[in-house]
Amino acid sequence: MADDWQSDFEQLVDDHQSMVFSIALRMTGDRGLAEEIAQDVFVELDKHLSKIESPDHACFWLRRVAMSRSADALRRRRVRSTDLWVQFEEHHGAPVEVRDSPLGARLELLLATLPEAQRAALVLRYQEDLTPEEIAATLAEPVATVKSHLQRGLKLLRAKATHHLQEYVRSKKEYIRGV
Amino acid sequence: MDDFEQELRQAFERRPAPPNLKRKLMDRRADQRRTQQRRSHIQLWQRLAASLILVAVVSSAAEWVRHEREEHRQGEAARQQVLTALHITGHALDHLNTQLTAHDRTEQRQGDRP
Repeated sequence: MADDWQSDFEQLVDDHQSMVFSIALRMTGDRGLAEEIAQDVFVELDKHLSKIESPDHACFWLRRVAMSRSADALRRRRVRSTDLWVQFEEHHGAPVEVRDSPLGARLELLLATLPEAQRAALVLRYQEDLTPEEIAATLAEPVATVKSHLQRGLKLLRAKATHHLQEYVRSKKEYIRGV
Repeated sequence: MDDFEQELRQAFERRPAPPNLKRKLMDRRADQRRTQQRRSHIQLWQRLAASLILVAVVSSAAEWVRHEREEHRQGEAARQQVLTALHITGHALDHLNTQLTAHDRTEQRQGDRP
């Protein structure tokens, strides 16, 4: 029962640190920055702990604040005129885990090249498994806008993925031919 | 949901947070609590000092007003006393003047007698 729920900060950190960190990482593409954002989000949660009413509310609140903090971080980076995504490719692209599928390994890097609004919608849709209505509530945007971001983002990502997959297959073929 | 979306879902699985994230967070939280406590202690002392200064200023002002009133009251009393003294002196002088006039008349009458 929501009424019986007592917020336990450490438990909330244990339960949601992976979610908050993953959102920040996928939105900023920077591991260090993502860790910093995750810390900020939980510190903020600590301040607002008395207002959290239930585990679902905590989860919603954390997603929302993680998204807005990530957007703030990106804005600050833009103000500093740093090309974040060039940095991402150069410094943070390499350690991406090797996955079973070559496409899967590339998708995270390709996600970083999408516009921020589309990236946010896709992260919430495919990482957090939220419906467009839930995404709209999290991002405080109209559902129609979220649906549009999802469609466009998916289309763009699919096109980029197809292109990269073709490149990948071509390079593999060349490698095999070379061996 | 097509294959691409399935692939996306797999690719976008949550990543584990860095192992020391929680420890760093707890340290930061403890630091913030300590800072907050120190700040609230400082604020408490500042408020106390401000209250003492305020009390001192108010009591000084009250004392000054009381002193001014007392001085004014004493001044009024002194003025009244001076007025009374002048009144008495005036009365005495009038009386003396009357006596002198009477005395002068008596002497004049005695001088007129053969």
